Amino acid sequence: MTGYIIRRCIAAVIIAVGVAAVSFLLLHFVGASPAVSALKSRSSPANIAAWNKVHGYDRPLIVQFGSFLWGLLHLNFGYSWFQGQSVGALFAENAGRTAYLSIASLVIALVIALPMGIAQAVKRNSPGDYAATTFTFTLYAMPSFFLGLILIQIFALDLHVFPALVSDNITTTWQAIIHPLQLTLPIVTLAGITVAGFSRYMRSSALDALAQDYIRLARAKGLPQRAVLAHHLLRNACLPMITLIGLSIPGLLAGNLLTETLFNYPGLGLLFFNALQSEDYPVLLSYTVLGGVLTVVGNLLADIAVTVADPRVRLD
Amino acid sequence: MTDLGAEQMIEGVPSFGSPNIPTTAPEGGEVQLLASGWRLALREFLSNRLAVVGLVTLVFFVAFCFLGPLFYHTDQSFTNPLNSDLAPTAGHLLGTDDNGFDEFGRIMIGGQTALEIGFFSAFIATVIGTIYGAVSGLAGGLVDAVLMRFVDILLSIPFLFIVLVLATKYSATIFSESLILGLFSWLVPARLVRGEVLTLRVRDFVVAARIMGGTQSRLVFRHLIPNALSVVIVNITFQIADSILAIAYLGFLGFGLAYPAASWGDMLGNAQTAVSSGYWWLVYPVGGCLVLVVMACNLIGDALRDAFDVRLRRR
Repeated sequence: MTGYIIRRCIAAVIIAVGVAAVSFLLLHFVGASPAVSALKSRSSPANIAAWNKVHGYDRPLIVQFGSFLWGLLHLNFGYSWFQGQSVGALFAENAGRTAYLSIASLVIALVIALPMGIAQAVKRNSPGDYAATTFTFTLYAMPSFFLGLILIQIFALDLHVFPALVSDNITTTWQAIIHPLQLTLPIVTLAGITVAGFSRYMRSSALDALAQDYIRLARAKGLPQRAVLAHHLLRNACLPMITLIGLSIPGLLAGNLLTETLFNYPGLGLLFFNALQSEDYPVLLSYTVLGGVLTVVGNLLADIAVTVADPRVRLD
Repeated sequence: MTDLGAEQMIEGVPSFGSPNIPTTAPEGGEVQLLASGWRLALREFLSNRLAVVGLVTLVFFVAFCFLGPLFYHTDQSFTNPLNSDLAPTAGHLLGTDDNGFDEFGRIMIGGQTALEIGFFSAFIATVIGTIYGAVSGLAGGLVDAVLMRFVDILLSIPFLFIVLVLATKYSATIFSESLILGLFSWLVPARLVRGEVLTLRVRDFVVAARIMGGTQSRLVFRHLIPNALSVVIVNITFQIADSILAIAYLGFLGFGLAYPAASWGDMLGNAQTAVSSGYWWLVYPVGGCLVLVVMACNLIGDALRDAFDVRLRRR
């Protein structure tokens, strides 16, 4: 077990360094130096060359990558010349709000998707199952911002229940938490898209589990349906979900980007969107690498969690 | 050896031509006439009602977008700014957009580009992924390990982020947008094909081809890829769906095609303003078309996967 975890960790570190290298190369190819965004209107070729020399952007590529990697190891994500702040400070400022949005919608998505998938599996091919499948299939094919727009139309413009945009007064994570009305639509949007992916897996996973002998045994010994589902089915059907949650990180990051942009909610996604528009490459590079590392860590944690939760998983 | 021949060796079943030839029950019980793998898959696919619905929807939208302009004439190059944001009337079935273009005609044009980018990027991703996966699986050992770690690395970089960064500079034309999407979508097909090749390469017909002196490229293109085609075809449909969704994201965030070219995604770029101004005709028809096409592709993909899965097949 320990050996397996160590091997997986080493592989994860290698992949994380690879992620940094590939992202660095691609962004170097798209925009080699942030000189233009730093110098703004004073960016003549001579000024840019001088700026690059001062800030080390004229060094060989491998040296630049080395110093970027060295900085990452010290949690130094670089400096956003456009915003006049270190990227690390920008991340720290926005991370809490994004984490709140992501975790709240992930939890809500699980609370909806797990029972729904089990109910669909137990009552499979019933009208309710077809209705739920149609619903999730539609959500699955829907761009997340489009779901958000429909929710804005119904709940903000027609019914006036929730605001169409998150208020500018929401500046801290705590304020986001104590003003639930402001964040209802963003959270529901992100949760809706996540549910669409999860419940399909949950349904098929529960279908597999329902056919197993231990369910037949639990029923044969006279357990009520409720106990069979809650004690025997749920825990087994959830096992594949652990991996799925680990794999859902890129989707959540992309969902954050679109939801935050749509609702104008200041988080890491909106930061990335603004950086795209101002071609603020240090922010783009660091957030891409951070997203990649989060993905690697998510997969690693999911793999370890599965081996802990399911003793039948054989370690290679 | 033809594709069909290879398929027969796997199934162990000779082809008797059309599956519709009536059979008489011979002595010794009922015997069902068996066709080749591809015919069986096709029959299975067509017996799936949802799949047929998906296929009909997709064909309808292809016809609507590419043949529609022949019947519903609109001017999509010159516009009168005074006609912007008109509500639907008999003259403009879905009103006009912010620039004064007829929205119904624009949905057709935008659909053409969306479908073209979807198909083209899926094609690029499939070609790269199939060859990469087949080479990796056949080579095995260290080469395979290195090639697959590279796939792991690229898979860990969030797709939307890297595509958006590239799209800020290079997404102006149909070709470049397809290229960006295709170049970052070949990872899943590469993994699928490699997995398939790993099981195929120890089969007798591949070993036989190798012993007969077949070169590596002959093995890959003549024996391995044709036999891994079923997973590839299933993946293409999902890939088209994903690409069309990605176009929507790029367009919504404002990094799509250069004006006046537009895909369904770009038409949703101002969706937020349109919704708050009450211009529903600029948002819901386009979005609805997009969702329906993505759904149709997903339905077809699901059905194809079931149809090719020998274990699920009724025989």
